[in-house]
Amino acid sequence: MTIQTAAGVPSSFLSNVSIYLQKHARKLVAPVIGFTVALFVWQVFSTITKALPGPIEVVQQTWDPFIISPFFKEGDDKGLGWQALASLQRVAIGYTLAAVVGIAVGVLIGAIPIAYEAVDPMFQILRTVPPLAWLPIALAIFKDSGPAGIFIIFVTAIWPIIYNTAVGVQQMPQDYKNVAKVLRLSGGEYFFSILLPSIVPYMFTGLKLGIGLAWLAIVAAEMLRGDTGIGFFIWNSYNSGSLSEVILALFYIGVIGFLLDKLIGYFASFVSTDK
Amino acid sequence: MSFFVEVDHVDRIFDLANGGQYIALKNIELKMQQGEFVSLVGHSGCGKSTLLNIMAGLDQPTNGGVVLEGREVTQPGPDRMVVFQNYSLLPWLTVYQNIELAVNKVMSDLPVAERQSIIDRHIDLVGLRNAVHKKPNELSGGMKQRVAIARALAIRPKLLLLDEPFGALDALTRGNLQDQLMRICEESKITCVMVTHDVDEALLLSDRIVMMTNGPEAQIGQILHVPMQHPRHRLEVVNHPSYYTLRNEMIYFLNQQKREKKRKSKKVVAIARHGLEKVNLDIGFVPLTDCAPLMVAKEMGFFAKHGLEEVTLSREPSWKAILEGVASNRLDAAQMVAGMPLAMTVGFNDSPPLPMVISLVLSRNGNAITLDKDIYDQGVRSLEDFAALVKQPANESNESKSHTLGIVHSTSMHNLMLRYWLASGGIDPDQDVNLAVIPPAQMVANLQSNNIDGYCAGEPWNSRAVHEGLGVVMATDLDIWAGHPEKVLGVREDWVNQYPQTYLALVKALMEACEYCDDRRNREEILALLCKPEYVGSIPEYTRPGFIDAYNYGRGEVPRSLLRFNQFYVDRSNYPQQIESLWILTQLARWGITPFPKNWVEVLQRIHRLDVYREAAQELDFPIAEPDRLPFALFDEIMFNPDDPLAYLNQFAIAQPIQVKEINLDSMATVAA
Repeated sequence: MTIQTAAGVPSSFLSNVSIYLQKHARKLVAPVIGFTVALFVWQVFSTITKALPGPIEVVQQTWDPFIISPFFKEGDDKGLGWQALASLQRVAIGYTLAAVVGIAVGVLIGAIPIAYEAVDPMFQILRTVPPLAWLPIALAIFKDSGPAGIFIIFVTAIWPIIYNTAVGVQQMPQDYKNVAKVLRLSGGEYFFSILLPSIVPYMFTGLKLGIGLAWLAIVAAEMLRGDTGIGFFIWNSYNSGSLSEVILALFYIGVIGFLLDKLIGYFASFVSTDK
Repeated sequence: MSFFVEVDHVDRIFDLANGGQYIALKNIELKMQQGEFVSLVGHSGCGKSTLLNIMAGLDQPTNGGVVLEGREVTQPGPDRMVVFQNYSLLPWLTVYQNIELAVNKVMSDLPVAERQSIIDRHIDLVGLRNAVHKKPNELSGGMKQRVAIARALAIRPKLLLLDEPFGALDALTRGNLQDQLMRICEESKITCVMVTHDVDEALLLSDRIVMMTNGPEAQIGQILHVPMQHPRHRLEVVNHPSYYTLRNEMIYFLNQQKREKKRKSKKVVAIARHGLEKVNLDIGFVPLTDCAPLMVAKEMGFFAKHGLEEVTLSREPSWKAILEGVASNRLDAAQMVAGMPLAMTVGFNDSPPLPMVISLVLSRNGNAITLDKDIYDQGVRSLEDFAALVKQPANESNESKSHTLGIVHSTSMHNLMLRYWLASGGIDPDQDVNLAVIPPAQMVANLQSNNIDGYCAGEPWNSRAVHEGLGVVMATDLDIWAGHPEKVLGVREDWVNQYPQTYLALVKALMEACEYCDDRRNREEILALLCKPEYVGSIPEYTRPGFIDAYNYGRGEVPRSLLRFNQFYVDRSNYPQQIESLWILTQLARWGITPFPKNWVEVLQRIHRLDVYREAAQELDFPIAEPDRLPFALFDEIMFNPDDPLAYLNQFAIAQPIQVKEINLDSMATVAA
C-alpha cells in the first residue's frame, strides 16, 4: 500500500483507468463494433424496405421530447421515464409478493415431502400457463387493470422462486441439520441461522429467473390492457403510427430488463459471499 | 461400578426398501470411564459410524440404549458434541461466528464477555488467531477441522465424538492435528470416542481400541488396551515395546476381517473327484524355510499326483492366523507349530477344547535363539552370562531396562524351547524377562528397532539377523533337543471324519514331498522356490545357512555344518511320536498355557491318528515307523519318563502353578463352527 498525496490521487486514478482500459480494451471494443454493425445493417434494411424507420430516423423523430427529457408530462402524454417507472412500480409490488410467498411456499414444500408431493403436479401444470392467459381471470377477479397486472407478475414470477427455494431446502446438507440438532437450536434459530443462509444461493437463482419473467409479463399485460406503463406506451405509439417511439421503448425495455437482472445478481453476490 | 458411558446391548436394524431388514449392529456392549479415549476401528460398512451416531443421539438404536452419566441418550445434545468427517462448518459464517453460534446457544446463561473469552481462548487453542474472520472456503482442510474441533471443545461436551476427523487430510496436517487433539484431550480430560481407519492414529490417541467385525450384524470383535502412559509423545509411543505387537494385532484383525469378507462373497463348495471327497483345499503356511514340504508338494505336483488338484496355499501372517483359520474352517489344513494342535485339543486362551488330529510331522529342528548383537558385545557368550545380565540389579549404568524376547506363538516349540533353555539357566521366563508374541517375519525389524533383545524363531529369520550384523545365534535347537518335532500337519478332527480319503491323500502327498525335501540334491531347486515372493520371499544369502550351507552363528567362528538343521524325512521324521507330544503337553502345562490333561493317554491317542500315517506309508511303500516309548532327555540330561509325566513336571523349580484337568473330548467332538 502506498501513501498518496491529495494531488497524487487523480493522476494515479487516471493511470489506473488507462491500465484498466488497456487490459479490457478487447472487451470494450468488441461490443462497440457489434453495435455499430447491427445499426448499419438495420439502417440498410430500413432504407431498402422502407417498412421500418432506420436508427437515424428513430433518433431524429424521438429526440424531442422522448430522448432528451424522459420525465416530461403534458396531460396524458408522459415521458418514457414515467412510463417505465409505472411498470417498475407494478413489478416491484407483484415481484415482492411473489418473492415473499414463493420463498415461504418453497421452504414449506422443501421441508415437508408430503406437501411437495401434494402440490407438485398442480404447480407443474400451472407453471406452464403463459402469463397473458391469466389476464382474463385476473381482470375478472380484480375488475381493474392495475391489480390485474400485479397479479400477472406475481403468478409468473412465483414458480421459479418456489421451485428453486424448495430444491435449496431439499439439497441442504445433512451436516448442517446435524449441527442444528446437536446444538439443539430452536425452530426460529434453525430457520434464521441455518436454513435461510444455506438456501440463499438457490433462492437467488429463483429470484433472478423470476425477475426476468416478471418483466416479460408486465410489458405484455400492459399492451393488452392498461393506461400507464411502458407496454401501454408501445401500443399507444403503434396505434398513433409512430414506430420510432416503439423502437425507442423497446430499447428502454431491454436496458431495464438487463439492469434488473444485474441488480438481483448483485444482491445475490452481496448476500452469499460463501460461494 | 458405574461407568461414565454405557452402550448397552445396542442393535441397529434398518428396514430395506424391498421389505427385508439389514442388521447393521448386533449386541454392541461398551463401557467407558470418564476421561477415556476409545477408538472404533473396522472396515467400511462395519457400522462404526452408525454406532457413533447412536451415541450422539443422531440415530436411534433398534434395541438397547446408550447411557451417559446415568441418563439415557434419546436425542442429540451439546453434551455429546460431534466432530464430523466433513467438518460441518456453516460456510456463510466466519471462523469466529461458527464457534460463536455454538457457544451462544449452549452457554446462553454466561455473560457476553465471558462467552467471547471462551471463543477467543479456543481459537487460540487451535492456533487460528490469524484466520478468525475468514470463512470456511478460505481455509485449508486442516484449518477447517481445527475450527470444528475448537467449536466442539468450546461448549465443554461431556463426551466428544469424532467421526474420522483426519481422514481427508494430508499426512503432515494429520500428524499435527493428532498431536494437538492428544494434547487438548489430555489437558482437559475429555472423554472421547473416535472412528478411524488409521491404525497408527488409533494407537497414538486411544486408551482402548474397539475393533469391529464386518457387517451385517457387526459386533465388537476384539478390544485392545493401549498400555502407554499419558501424556504421550509420538516418538515414545512408536518406540514403546508393545507398539508393534499392538499394531500387528490390529493389522491382523483387519486383514482377517478382509479375508472373511472375501470368503463370504465366494461360497466354497467341496469339489469331489477321483474318489476323494474334496480336492479343493486351502492350506495355510507361515513364510519360513520349513514350509518347504507344502511348497514342494504343490510346485512338484505331489498334491496333483494324489488327486488333490485344486490346492491353494494360503500365506498367513502369523501362527495366530493359522490357528484361527483352521478353527473357523477357513483353512482345511495348515502347517502348525507342534504344540498348537495339542493346545487346541486341550483348550487354551479361554477357547473351548477343539479336537485336532496329527498324522504327520512336517519338519524337525530348524530354529535358533538369537540375541541382540549389542548384548553379545557386552560380553554375553553363554546362557550363564545372559542370566547374569538379566538378573543384574538396576543401577545408573544399565538404565534398569527389562529384557524382552520375541516368540512366535505361545504354543510353538520356539516358546517352549526358549523357556526351557532360559529356565535351565536359572532365568524365570515369566519373571526375569518379558516374552512378546511377534510374527516370525517381523522379528528382525523389531530387533533392529530395539523393541526386543532377542528371539527364538525359525529360519531364515535368525540367519538374516546374523547376516545383517544385528544378532548373534546363542543356540540352535540341535543344542537343546536335537530332532524335536517342529511343524506338523494340523487338521480338525471333524474335518478328518468328514473327508477321510482326502486326508489320507494329503498325508501321502506331503510324505512324498518331505522325502523330496530331504534329498540334498533337490535343495538348490527348493531354495529357488522358497525365495519366490509368494512363499518366503527372502534373499538366498540368508536362506542358505542351515538349509544348504554351513550354519553361521555370527560369533566370528567358522560356520558349522549342521546337516540335520532342517530335517524333513530322514530318521522317521514324519512319524508323530506320542511321547514327544507328551513332553510338549508337560511344557504347555509348566508355563500355564494349558492345563495338563489328567487323561493324557486318551487325549494323545485321540490326536495321533497313527493309522492314517501307517496306511499312507504302506501305500507309498515307505518304511513304517513304530511307536517309541523310551525315556529321553534334553541337553540338560533331565530324564523324561513317559510313564510319569507329572513327576517330570513337578521337579522343575521354575514353573507356573500347574493345573491338571480331565479333558472331556466327546462333549466337544461334535462342535463345528
